[in-house]
Amino acid sequence: MTEPAARPAPLSTAAAARRVFDLSFGEMLWSRRTIFMALVVGGPVLLAIIFRVVEAFGAPALRVNGARVGGGSVFGVMIWMLYIRFIVPVLGLFYGTALMADEVEDKTLTYLFTRPIPRGAVLLGKYLAYLACTSLVVLPSVMLTYFLTVPFTQVAGTFRSLVLDLALLGTGLAVYGAVFAFVGARLKRPLVSGLVFAFGWEQLALALPGYLRQFTVAHHLQSLVPHTMPADSTLSVIQGLFRQTTSVAGALTALGLMLAVFLWLAMRTVTRREYVLEQ
Amino acid sequence: MAAKTRYFVLTAAGILTAGLTTGLVASYMGGLPVALSRQAGPEDLAFVPPDAIAVGYANVQEVMASELRQRLRRLQDANPDSQERHDFEEKTGVNVERDIDAVVGALLPASGDKEGNPLVLARGRFDQVRIEGLARDHGGDVSDYEGVRVIAHTGDEKTMALGFLAPGIVAVGSIESVKGAIDAKRSGRNVMSNTEIMRLVGELDGNNAWAVGRFDAMASSTGLPGELQQRMPTLSWFSAAGHLNGGISGTFKAEAKDDEAAKNLRDMMRGVVAMVRLQSDSKPEMRAFVDSLQLGGEGKTVAVGFSVPAEMFDALEKMHEARRPAEER
Repeated sequence: MTEPAARPAPLSTAAAARRVFDLSFGEMLWSRRTIFMALVVGGPVLLAIIFRVVEAFGAPALRVNGARVGGGSVFGVMIWMLYIRFIVPVLGLFYGTALMADEVEDKTLTYLFTRPIPRGAVLLGKYLAYLACTSLVVLPSVMLTYFLTVPFTQVAGTFRSLVLDLALLGTGLAVYGAVFAFVGARLKRPLVSGLVFAFGWEQLALALPGYLRQFTVAHHLQSLVPHTMPADSTLSVIQGLFRQTTSVAGALTALGLMLAVFLWLAMRTVTRREYVLEQ
Repeated sequence: MAAKTRYFVLTAAGILTAGLTTGLVASYMGGLPVALSRQAGPEDLAFVPPDAIAVGYANVQEVMASELRQRLRRLQDANPDSQERHDFEEKTGVNVERDIDAVVGALLPASGDKEGNPLVLARGRFDQVRIEGLARDHGGDVSDYEGVRVIAHTGDEKTMALGFLAPGIVAVGSIESVKGAIDAKRSGRNVMSNTEIMRLVGELDGNNAWAVGRFDAMASSTGLPGELQQRMPTLSWFSAAGHLNGGISGTFKAEAKDDEAAKNLRDMMRGVVAMVRLQSDSKPEMRAFVDSLQLGGEGKTVAVGFSVPAEMFDALEKMHEARRPAEER
């Protein structure tokens, strides 16, 4: 009678998360969802190319009430309206809610859960893969947009705000990703709930006076934006009127807390929840 | 990691590294080499000394041809001042609307406790002999400075001068500033080497009138009362640009000493703009102007954009007409 082969020791959470990251990163990067992401982040780059070509011919690419709008201002508006308000929440929503939901939908969750790794590490590894994947697409897009819109003569004066923008967008992706990872792990229809949170609750809370805004990611994220908030719609004007920016330390603390709490909650949910794969 | 994933990661990291390195180099050097960027501003800036506190520019031909100017001209023709314009043209041979193409103005630092030295450079078509003769008739001294004809006239406090710097370019200002303009062009040390001013000028290209300057230095050079200077926000630089067509549109941008001061100023301005917007319903004629107010800026800068549409001038013209006595109409 032969001795049974010794079972490998279970991996630690960090080591297991790294294995899941290695597995998920490539899959996530070349998934159909990435085509959507490429289209979303390609928009600002395309607009910036058009802006640069028109400016190269000596014509003002953008005039507001007859006054020429400089490249620096155009970039600031793009960061606000395209990246902070749309791209970051949308990518966080689509990728974050899908971290576990995709595995459930494809009925592949069993293969991960039967491995000798902590369940929470599955979510953590996938979350890190999401963060790397989106950051490597969004941040280069911001860099290209910056150098296409801002004239070389203004690079020295505006470079600091670009670095802040990059850090801010990375933070935004991390926090929104954690929030929606929890939503995806906890709720049955995470996409609908996520859309209501990002484009319903957050927008409404920002427009209301009082403390409700403290319970939004957008408020703390927008407190750190180095560019001025554009007043492009009635909602923006109302949000601007009631806007109370938090201090940098306060905003960073709130965002850090949200990131840690929601990521922990998401991992805890995945560890405790019994997923039923519909046949 | 698959090969295509590795290439993707390397490409993305390469873009980020290249961008950050370029930005760091630019920040360290105070700007990217001129070869990479188009020279901003009019060529006449070559006559402005490098230590100028403020610089302004107006494309006179564009301004004069604008609808707004034509509208104001109709009002001015009934004004007694128009006779003075005709007298000026008769004496100097210069018709401002026809003979001047562009004007560059600058404020140069003063020596001692005097106010700043103004300098105006006009590009156009001038009758040098006629102007020189007129100056002599009025007690002007004609001299030669570095090969340039300079006409000086000493008044009660200052010696004002006029110099024919180059064909079609006349400098008017204090004797120090006119000589400074000649030195700036001859030595090649001019405001174009002032990276701070040129950075702001670069942002304003395309407008037919603009001005940039150091706010703190201007406040002291223009003789603002000390108490008022202390109450002014902690601003370091300002720039203003306007575009005239049927109406006027423009932007005013100021740079505060630090991010905190700028943020406070932006918050204050945002509140004011929002309140004005909410109250504009009762004044429909102001609605277009109020809607055009745009607040911008980032980091240390605060920017306000505005537009006064042609319709608003129509309304003002009607109000002016209604206030005139019946016999004048």
